[in-house]
Amino acid sequence: MLLEARDLTVVLKGDTGDVRVLDAISFSVEAGEIVDVVGPSGAGKTTFLRALARLLPGATGALFLDDTPAEKIGPGAWRAVVALLPQKPSIVDGSIADNLLLPWTLKVRAGRTRPSEAALGAALTRVRLDIALDRDASRLSEGQRARVALLRVVLTAPRVLLLDEPDAALDDVSSDAVTQVTREFARAGGAVVRVRHHRSDGLASRRLHLESGRITTAEEVER
Amino acid sequence: MSDAAGGVIQIGWQGLALATLFVVFVGVVSIRMSLGITKDLAIATVRTYAQLLALGFVLRWVFAINSPWLVVGLILLMVLFAAQIILKRSPDAPPGIFGSAFVAMALTGFIVTFAVTGVIVQVQPWYLPQYVIPLAGMVLGNSMTGISLAIERVYADFDSREDELLALVALGATPWEAAHGSVRDALRAGLIPTINSMAAAGLVFIPGMMSGQILAGADPVTATGYQIVVMLMVAAATAMGSVIALLLTYHRRFTSDGVFLEKGYRREPR
Repeated sequence: MLLEARDLTVVLKGDTGDVRVLDAISFSVEAGEIVDVVGPSGAGKTTFLRALARLLPGATGALFLDDTPAEKIGPGAWRAVVALLPQKPSIVDGSIADNLLLPWTLKVRAGRTRPSEAALGAALTRVRLDIALDRDASRLSEGQRARVALLRVVLTAPRVLLLDEPDAALDDVSSDAVTQVTREFARAGGAVVRVRHHRSDGLASRRLHLESGRITTAEEVER
Repeated sequence: MSDAAGGVIQIGWQGLALATLFVVFVGVVSIRMSLGITKDLAIATVRTYAQLLALGFVLRWVFAINSPWLVVGLILLMVLFAAQIILKRSPDAPPGIFGSAFVAMALTGFIVTFAVTGVIVQVQPWYLPQYVIPLAGMVLGNSMTGISLAIERVYADFDSREDELLALVALGATPWEAAHGSVRDALRAGLIPTINSMAAAGLVFIPGMMSGQILAGADPVTATGYQIVVMLMVAAATAMGSVIALLLTYHRRFTSDGVFLEKGYRREPR
């Protein structure tokens, strides 16, 4: 198993008592696999992804990457390998290139070679973004921002990609581009866990139904 | 009443009473025009009398005793009050900032004050209260303002950037890497009042210490020397205090695993 979670539990203190946002979820995903997580709003889908990325304060349970327990891997190093793309694309001040190269300004990737300009340009073309690298990123449309944010994560070559509604607010062109990048990522041996609302796009091999913090059904998807 | 002592014309009780008449006049206007500030004005006037008279008597007593312990103790007490005020002015800050504010104020207060009195003014003995206490007051008052502005600003900025902080931490950023932009902006916000007053000094207003020395009969150029030292000292103290306070506090909004605590995940009532 590439990524495994055992008994993931999150209890939040609410005004009306404790709320079990995640209730002892066990789950695993293999290299090259794409898993969709579906369920009603408030079922805990986003919370689940954040817990897998170790981005959830107060989560309990055990996580393993290639059978190595999470405690043996620093949180920053873990997140560099099990990469979450939050639902809201976050673009920082600067050019498109500044945004795409942002991960290489962080200590966790010190000493690693950053992608060349040619590589960045090719990546933009792959997601059908026909814009110059030095363009001011603050003027991108929502669909463009989503694709830049996705590329920024994918270019760091994580092993697991956690996508929170990657195509929620996108037009068809942007949405197709996201699907294609996701497919290529999995073909190259990466694992993908997606939270989705849309109808199946035929990529996922499994679909998990999450309700009130529990997996109610896990179905294999015919492809 | 108005007898000269050491170059200063003293103000007697009648003088104070006459000055109070100005406030009474404003109070009457306020009542007649229903401005609604009469009560605040009255309380502020009484506080001014009480606090400054108390300060005058305390300082007279401290100057007479002339003990290094008393001087250091008094500065520590001022630091304690300042830390308390910083805490009150930062209602949105996470718990535990009192200690950090105290440490930042104490380090700044002692280092900057004694650097000025010991190295620049070279007072003898080193604790001479007439110099040390007023200078410490200026250092502490200004760095307190800077620190509370900076702390208030950094946490407000975190909250407005919470999506970006999540994205950065998800990319593997450490709390410092994620917080850096907000810390820099907060530091700038804390320094702005000081920089503004440095820019306007001498053009728009005569700074307080210089006014005081001129009123006390000092040569204006001598007073200028002191005022320049004080303004530079205040700028250094504000910058130093804000930097220390921010470095000691910014990470309090992050978990030990480096995750930014968004509003929904904070459980601590203050």
